[in-house]
Amino acid sequence: MALEKVDLTRVKPYGDTLNDGMMQLSFTLPIPYGDEADEAARRLARKMGLEEPSVVHSHDLGVGYTFFVVYGKCQHTVNYEEIEVPKVDVEIMSKYEVEDFIKENIKRDVVIVGACTGTDAHTVGIDAIMNMKGYDGHYGLERYKMVEAYNLGSQVPNEELVAKAIELNADAILVSQVVTQKDVHIPNLTELTELLEAEGMRDKIVLVCGGPRISHELAKELGYDAGFGSGSFANNVASFIVKEIVERKLV
Amino acid sequence: MLIDIIQNNYKIISIVGMGKNAGKTVTLNHLIEEAAINGITIGITSTGRDGEGIDLVTGTEKPSIYAFEGTYIATSEKALKLGDAKIEIIKVTDYRTPMGKIVIGKVRDAGYVQIAGPQTTKEIKAISNILIDFGAEVVFIDGAINRLSSAAPSVSQGCILATGAVVSRDMNKVIRDTLHAVELFKLPEVKEDTLRILIKDIIQKENISLIDENYNVKTLDIKTSLNSGKIISQHITKSTRYVIFPGSLVKNTIEDIVKGSRLIKNVTFVVRDGTKIFVGPVDWLRLCRQGLKVKALNSVSTLAVTINPYSPQGYYFDQREFLNSMKKHLKDIPVFDVVHGGEYKDEIYR
Repeated sequence: MALEKVDLTRVKPYGDTLNDGMMQLSFTLPIPYGDEADEAARRLARKMGLEEPSVVHSHDLGVGYTFFVVYGKCQHTVNYEEIEVPKVDVEIMSKYEVEDFIKENIKRDVVIVGACTGTDAHTVGIDAIMNMKGYDGHYGLERYKMVEAYNLGSQVPNEELVAKAIELNADAILVSQVVTQKDVHIPNLTELTELLEAEGMRDKIVLVCGGPRISHELAKELGYDAGFGSGSFANNVASFIVKEIVERKLV
Repeated sequence: MLIDIIQNNYKIISIVGMGKNAGKTVTLNHLIEEAAINGITIGITSTGRDGEGIDLVTGTEKPSIYAFEGTYIATSEKALKLGDAKIEIIKVTDYRTPMGKIVIGKVRDAGYVQIAGPQTTKEIKAISNILIDFGAEVVFIDGAINRLSSAAPSVSQGCILATGAVVSRDMNKVIRDTLHAVELFKLPEVKEDTLRILIKDIIQKENISLIDENYNVKTLDIKTSLNSGKIISQHITKSTRYVIFPGSLVKNTIEDIVKGSRLIKNVTFVVRDGTKIFVGPVDWLRLCRQGLKVKALNSVSTLAVTINPYSPQGYYFDQREFLNSMKKHLKDIPVFDVVHGGEYKDEIYR
């Protein structure tokens, strides 16, 4: 069976056959369960540009709310070939390679301070990167030889993070922002950059942010050296930090 | 015209904003146009990223940047490829950003450009100087989001502050926050020469120090003022006249000093400049009432304030009311509505 060739300049969702555009949505509407609710969900899906929308499942959530699963055909396409997402441009090393790199090129312990700053209390991100046990088979920075990792935890004010980084003579600061409403993570992240500038520290430190809503491109605008999105592991972050220390001559 | 204030008086101008979509890039475009009309060769760089079609955070449309022939730009390798102006690369620098190295170019054929400059203020300053060396008469540094650090006198000689409805739904709050930023920018400078020499020296050595009435300097053994308010307050004596902060001055530090010492009324705090202060408008007023006095080694000259009455969240202010109340409060600083022009033309063009 020869696979039909995919036109990468006009990519559409795949359901049963290529380019059928089939998509599944799930959402809740604040209306009581019933036929009218299903029709409302269908109309909404049509407004979203889905052809032949059908409500395949609806469920009464009580208090006059209904949950829906809707199928429909997407009419839109994207040009995959013109997409270019800036990524952290560094050769990813394993934990052991990072350790060897430090031993050969930096020749001293690397101090990394991490925190979940501002109002954010969700430490899953920073814990996955820093804690000894790590995440998904990738050990955290605490386990790295020649890395002194300090995880300050959640809801750390920027002032405290900077004070700690100065006290410990940190080489890198790692900031995690996981759950943020109304873009509060943006002013919170820029405040850290500004505070480091005011303290005259910005040039002496590698500044990295991470979180599901953070991209490398956004990091540029925030004044950070790198931004790591979901699916980044401790060794990705460590590879960037140690190479940056050497390239910026912060050894 | 805005450019009249700048031409011949300033070489490096920063455009900083109170938030995203406050109108920094629109302001930059005005300046680019005015410079072109007046035949001034300009240089453009940015602390963030400018000229891309869609905003990264809000998903709203962003203004493009149109660069005329002869303009010098400093942008990153990746951003350089995304514009349609013909650019001659004249230098590839070693300054690095998440979007590649910083490249200096000269526009050969006018068109749209994307600007993504260096990451730190020190690098921004160095890059601006390179642009001047190549022949730019005035360099504009476009700011990013709400970052104000490029307004520091160590980076730019003057700044233009962009503010707008995006700051808050409440117009009074927008005005209050803007006034606060301007007030910090124009903190009074320490005038006395002997004192200035002492302070410059202290700031260069980056040590928090106290100066008494006989100009004796006492240096404290702390690396930063952050979390050290109590220690600082313990060293304030009856004869202390100045406390010099070479780095930042944040709310908690001030609070701890005010709490810890009753002698605060005789003392003036000195910072490098207003961009080093991190205190909100409400706390600032309260602390000033409690006797806080702060001066700067160098104040930031705010050349103009630009306003944008529209917010990307969909609401907007009455343009005339917004412009007039901003003017009334800012008094001696010119205010421009970058979206409507309006008064901008009437009062400034003539």
